Amino acid sequence: MPPKSKGSSKAPNPEPKEPLHLHPNLIADLSPSQAAPESPLPQTVSLRSEQRFFRTNPCEKRRQDVGLSGLTPAEKKTYTYTHLILPVANRHVPLSNKAEREFWKHVTKEGLPIRRLPANYSWGKDRSGRDIGTYSPDELEQRTLKHARLTALQIQHRQFLSKRELAAKKQGAEVSSEDIEEEKKRRQTMAALKRDLYGEITGTLAKDPEWDDVIPIPQDEPEGALAQIAYPDDYAEAVSYLRAVMAADECSPRCLRLTEHVISMNPAHYTVWLYRFKIISVLKLSIPDEITWLNQVALSNLKNYQIWNHRQLLMDYYYPVIEEETAVIRTLARSETAFITTMLAEDAKNYHVWSYRQYLVGKLSVWTSSELGSTQNLIEDDVRNNSAWSHRFYLVFSDPTDSTAGSGPTEHDPKVPDSTIDREIKYAQEKIALAPQNQSPWNYLLGVLAKGGRKLATVQEFVEQYVSALGEEMEEVTSSHALDLLAKVYQENGDTEKAALCLRRLSEKWDPVREGYWKYRATLLQGAVESA
Amino acid sequence: MAAATAQTWSDSPSQVGSDAPEYSIPSLFTSDPPIRDTLETGSSRVQDATLDECLPFLTGYQHSECNAHGLPHLDRGRHINFLHKQLGKLPGAFTSADPSRPWFFYWCLAGLSLLGEDVAPYRERLIETVRPMQNALGGFAGGFGQTSHLATTYATVLALALVGGDEAYDVVDRRAMWRWLCSLKQPDGGFQMALGGEEDVRGAYCASVIISLLNLPLDLSPDSPACSAGHTGLFTGLAEYVRRCQTYEGGVSAKPGVEAHGAYAFCALGCLSIIDSPHRAIPRYLDVPLLISWLSSRQYAPEGGFSGRTNKLVDGCYSHWVGGCWPLIEAALNGPRGAAANPGDHPLPRAMESLSSRDGLIRYILSCCQDQSRRGGMRDKPSKYSDAYHTCYVLSGLSAAQHKWDLVTPRAHESIVAGDVWTVSPYMEGEQIFDEEDRVCTVHPVYVIPQHKVEEIQSYFATKSGF
Repeated sequence: MPPKSKGSSKAPNPEPKEPLHLHPNLIADLSPSQAAPESPLPQTVSLRSEQRFFRTNPCEKRRQDVGLSGLTPAEKKTYTYTHLILPVANRHVPLSNKAEREFWKHVTKEGLPIRRLPANYSWGKDRSGRDIGTYSPDELEQRTLKHARLTALQIQHRQFLSKRELAAKKQGAEVSSEDIEEEKKRRQTMAALKRDLYGEITGTLAKDPEWDDVIPIPQDEPEGALAQIAYPDDYAEAVSYLRAVMAADECSPRCLRLTEHVISMNPAHYTVWLYRFKIISVLKLSIPDEITWLNQVALSNLKNYQIWNHRQLLMDYYYPVIEEETAVIRTLARSETAFITTMLAEDAKNYHVWSYRQYLVGKLSVWTSSELGSTQNLIEDDVRNNSAWSHRFYLVFSDPTDSTAGSGPTEHDPKVPDSTIDREIKYAQEKIALAPQNQSPWNYLLGVLAKGGRKLATVQEFVEQYVSALGEEMEEVTSSHALDLLAKVYQENGDTEKAALCLRRLSEKWDPVREGYWKYRATLLQGAVESA
Repeated sequence: MAAATAQTWSDSPSQVGSDAPEYSIPSLFTSDPPIRDTLETGSSRVQDATLDECLPFLTGYQHSECNAHGLPHLDRGRHINFLHKQLGKLPGAFTSADPSRPWFFYWCLAGLSLLGEDVAPYRERLIETVRPMQNALGGFAGGFGQTSHLATTYATVLALALVGGDEAYDVVDRRAMWRWLCSLKQPDGGFQMALGGEEDVRGAYCASVIISLLNLPLDLSPDSPACSAGHTGLFTGLAEYVRRCQTYEGGVSAKPGVEAHGAYAFCALGCLSIIDSPHRAIPRYLDVPLLISWLSSRQYAPEGGFSGRTNKLVDGCYSHWVGGCWPLIEAALNGPRGAAANPGDHPLPRAMESLSSRDGLIRYILSCCQDQSRRGGMRDKPSKYSDAYHTCYVLSGLSAAQHKWDLVTPRAHESIVAGDVWTVSPYMEGEQIFDEEDRVCTVHPVYVIPQHKVEEIQSYFATKSGF
């Protein structure tokens, strides 16, 4: 502002002739019609700023075009005087009183702009990164109106909050349902405006009055963090609320809903699963209901494994409640097995499903013929399903009524009935016959023999079916696993030479990628001879 | 070497077409296996499809440029680039990785180290990134505001060790870490992955890595759930827990009584090799001949790579989970180098030669596991996309196949959890099928980060026996 110097105080019209507006933010109310008639209507707000810049900086355009020396003496004077206004006003240029009076007189006479726009005004960027300078004047006007609207709504929103607070303290009128409806609408509008103006996260929670009292804890992420993920807005919002309620250790129905919301977006989020279980146990919610819900989640997330630990936690928690009720346990075991069967129909070797199945057998004592039958069905479907073979081994050799607790998987367990060993040997042999190069039943057979404390020689005849004319010209081997087992049989019989031949033929012809292993096995034979 | 023998025995024609360049590839790795059953099932169908998928890569047919052995070069620059990118800003499609971001730090930094890159420049950023992921009650979570988890803590501690430096080490709140580990220790000797989380062999391995790198006290705090079973230390009953996870097939399962799986075999051997030197701990707790038989069965031909379970498909990541077992098994069999004989800990003969086909694995890795598009990175098999996980573990497996590890001196006493001295040298037996430029760096067989990084962090914490 010019000082109240004598010169200026005498000036009849200190403001310039042209309509000038000082701060670019105030330009919004300037309609284009007021612009100088010779300038074309500006397409963008930055072009408009440029026009105004030239209008408030007389001779600037001319100087840019022809240079300072190209100006006429009158233009030069105007140009110089314009540039001196601020320094003189701020007394950076010491002038005698007379000279100053003369200066201001000239300024007034010429109507030189006292306040001028700076060049290259930066409008900043909007939330999508677009330079606001590229907006059309109309677009900018819309934006300004939205700002005003949001400000008005925020005032009403704060009024609502204080009214509700007073009502809660019984110090004011009740909040009517109309008020709440209005507030809900208001929040939706505010959310839309905020998203529009600032790209602010405004998912369902920020709009939901139920979550008002929670101050979300946003991601604490430093600048340049490694492997930083551009989370979708709704996910970022949900986990911000999750952090807040977890920090407050809140276990309430709304938290349960929040966990479901997060799980629907990211089932791999192990923390939300552990928290969900905690809520269920604190609120003592119905376990069957939770399992029904979980089934749906599991079917749409086949590869997820958090689901299975959650399920196991639920069972551990539920079992003591129903321990006495045999019928309930039996029903539960049946429905769990049915669900497992559905999951295995999608992926018959899913490791987590089989691990849970093994857990369930122990927990609910499902050492039943139907469990064996259901496992057997999967072996019949695909005799190479090694997960099913492994489960069968567990079912047969860990059944507490027919096995010794804590007996290792390769230990002889005298408590296992001979009839069981016989049955399992026969089963493995039947399956080997279907596809002799399938390793699963061979491994199973060896496991059964160890459990039964049987000599390998007891299956020698069976194994020899798959190997003929060993080491001769007509040599025929239909299973490298038979040859492997035969080497062990011969070793057991003390026939190390024949055992060595088996290993050599495996190495040379029938399974050469494992040459290094077969050679090591041969050194084990020598060790056996030396120690014998 | 398997390759040399294969050429002598096989009379079946190689599948390389007559117009294809003449490569020296043993027919073992270009033709169908010698025995195939006719019975078709779901397993055999996907196995056959995998052969069809891999053979064009194995024969060199699919590659624009190969060496004389029919192997494409390691696309080092692209893999490096891929890993750097995975540490940068990731799009919203990675949201499911929100609870496992520390794994990305470890996979990428370990992978870059294997490719010879200096990862120390990531130090400051890593420190600032993991700081908010540590919880006051101990351990690191998958992200800010999440629950601490053994897997993400393991990955974070290894990542900090990889970038190195006192400032990185000091991020860890050791006292809180110890208390938290005590709260995870279970009455059966094992460790839960998180409070209320699952208990499996991963927990046993992750916990022992963390304890031994940070030199945490081994005492158990009196409020640990394991105290009810009479345990007095973090390691008591742990090896017995691991033992119970060996299955009738010889491999190791996630928990006692389920199916043997390659990833758990590595965890079991790694855990035992921390509890005591491998030549003592492994034979004491596992049936080694049966384990070797199962591990060896994981390698298939013609693919050359490893599978994770019986009758499952090869996958590049088992190059590490199964391939990484071999150095530990060899140490278990051979004992300390230069010792007069086996110190009488076990009656098993030494392994004079490699127990697996190193050439087969190298072939699978270089031919089938590299994404040779501009994307770079390593993958499960040709039909899959590359990712940071596979890049790390395929490279680690490649390193194990290219080098030989020897246990030189075992730790002074079995009650201390560090001090085994290992040496590594290029594997020199037979003809080398890869070019020297395609050799990757080495990582410690137990900790899977460079050996000097293990020594640096251990010696830093060696001075802090308390907190």
